[in-house]
Amino acid sequence: MTRVIDLVDLSFLHSGAELPALNDVSLVVEAGEAVVLLGPSGAGKTTLLALLDGRLQGWTGCVSVLGRGLAPDAPPPVAARPDTGFIFQEFALVERSSVLRNVLNGRLGRMSSVAAFFGRHSEHDLDAAHQALADCGIGELAHRRVDSLSGGQRQRVAIARCLAQEPRLILADEPVSNLDPARADEILALITNAAAKRGATTVFSSHQPELALRFASRAVGMAGGSVVLDRVVSAMSDAEIGALYHDVVEGAVALRLVQ
Amino acid sequence: MIRRGGSGGFLTGVCLGAVVLWSFATSDMELSRLLSAGPRIGEFLGRMIPPDLTVMSEIVDGTAETLRIAILGTLGAVILSVPLGLAASETMVPPVIYRSVRTLLALIRAIPLLLVAMLMVGAVGLGPMPGVIAVAFHATGMLGKFYAEAIDGVARPPVEALQSAGAGPLVRLRHAIWPQMAPVIARDTIFRFELNLRESLILGIVGAGGIGFYIQTYVRSFQYDKAASVTIAVILLVIAIEVLNVALRKRFS
Ligand SMILES: Nc1ncnc2c1ncn2[C@@H]1O[C@H](COP(=O)(O)OP(=O)(O)OP(=O)(O)O)[C@@H](O)[C@H]1O
Ligand SMILES: [Mg+2]
Repeated sequence: MTRVIDLVDLSFLHSGAELPALNDVSLVVEAGEAVVLLGPSGAGKTTLLALLDGRLQGWTGCVSVLGRGLAPDAPPPVAARPDTGFIFQEFALVERSSVLRNVLNGRLGRMSSVAAFFGRHSEHDLDAAHQALADCGIGELAHRRVDSLSGGQRQRVAIARCLAQEPRLILADEPVSNLDPARADEILALITNAAAKRGATTVFSSHQPELALRFASRAVGMAGGSVVLDRVVSAMSDAEIGALYHDVVEGAVALRLVQ
Repeated sequence: MIRRGGSGGFLTGVCLGAVVLWSFATSDMELSRLLSAGPRIGEFLGRMIPPDLTVMSEIVDGTAETLRIAILGTLGAVILSVPLGLAASETMVPPVIYRSVRTLLALIRAIPLLLVAMLMVGAVGLGPMPGVIAVAFHATGMLGKFYAEAIDGVARPPVEALQSAGAGPLVRLRHAIWPQMAPVIARDTIFRFELNLRESLILGIVGAGGIGFYIQTYVRSFQYDKAASVTIAVILLVIAIEVLNVALRKRFS
């Protein structure tokens, strides 16, 4: 199996922060896995996801994403960015543009600058966009403006944009944090199924272990910037799943990370 | 409002009183002159009635010229404001640049339109051309600032999302920044056009073209009935602009 993510002794300190947000994190994610990041507030989940997306610089250690090493002092080359897709917690859509335009925006990184500037999309771009919209169940909304949609519909647009990008690694920060249990179920199923269908690897963060573990193949627990737990989900009993948060805290205690 | 200490309030009152008294004493304010002016104002108004409606063709010509000055002046201001607005934006250029461009725009705004128009009449002669240049220059002070604010008011997350997807700076400008700022720019430009139209009405008074030219000509030649017609036309135009403004505001809110 190929390594999609390979972290060795990764540490990161936000500018102005006193304690590192990531502390000697070593982690390997293989192709096709669906990894859920669990852990209390401030554990470093958002930081880790943003760093994997190439949006943070100034870390120490070794980071390799999709077989390419990231440089600690420079953003990744533009050509490498479309392979990593990010589903933003606040959706980050262009409100006044149409749903289709927003989804096609996911294709821009794969086009020449001139074609991208003038929005001259290929047949393949349009196919990818419409397929993503269909997978997200919002095919009929293609020509609506985003600012006329409900929150749930917007989230599906944000997911469709990420899928249209055809990333090999999908990162999602708390994709179901503001949803009722039924919706949360739908969205996690949508993301993990779409990823599986496209052969993409997924890493997402969540505060709902019971829910997340029904869709993840592996759970990584974080506390205080360190990995304190790493388990394959199929090997876990219901009781173990129920005790997961407790285990994260135990792991933190073992590492003496709890104040 | 928070009340300050009593002595501070008293001092402010004394200063204000002194300023008003000084203004009165040094401005030839005599009640007798005001009283004797009554009959003369009456005579002046009397000569305006009835307005001479034979000047209709001058009114139409003047209005058309005012409209042309406002249109070309706004166009000139838009052309100047796009680069200046970009250069005055906090999110597009380093502080040294946007600070100096903002200062420049503030200076431009501080110069009254009529003053610019008079200078332009001196520089290029009478007619609509100095009016167009003056309006373009004067309006750039405001429009450049508005454009910069439109750029800076854009929500950043969609821009970052496009960057994360691999889009370069110009592509982000086109697909994430422009769709957000376009309606703001359209609204600001229409608002400025309306101001330009309003201000162009009186540009003719200093010889810079438009309908104001006829008011000045008729008053100077004591043809008050004709001046009255043009004045009424100007008032009607201002009302028409106001109505248009209200309609547009509804459209854009
Ligand atoms: N921009 C920032 N500047 C300074 N410190 C930051 C910044 N962002 C996060 N931190 C700090 O880094 C640590 C990790 O934060 P992070 O947002 O990654 O946690 P998280 O696990 O995503 O938490 P949550 O579950 O609340 O989303 C926290 O201590 C936080 O205060
Ligand atoms: Mg977070």
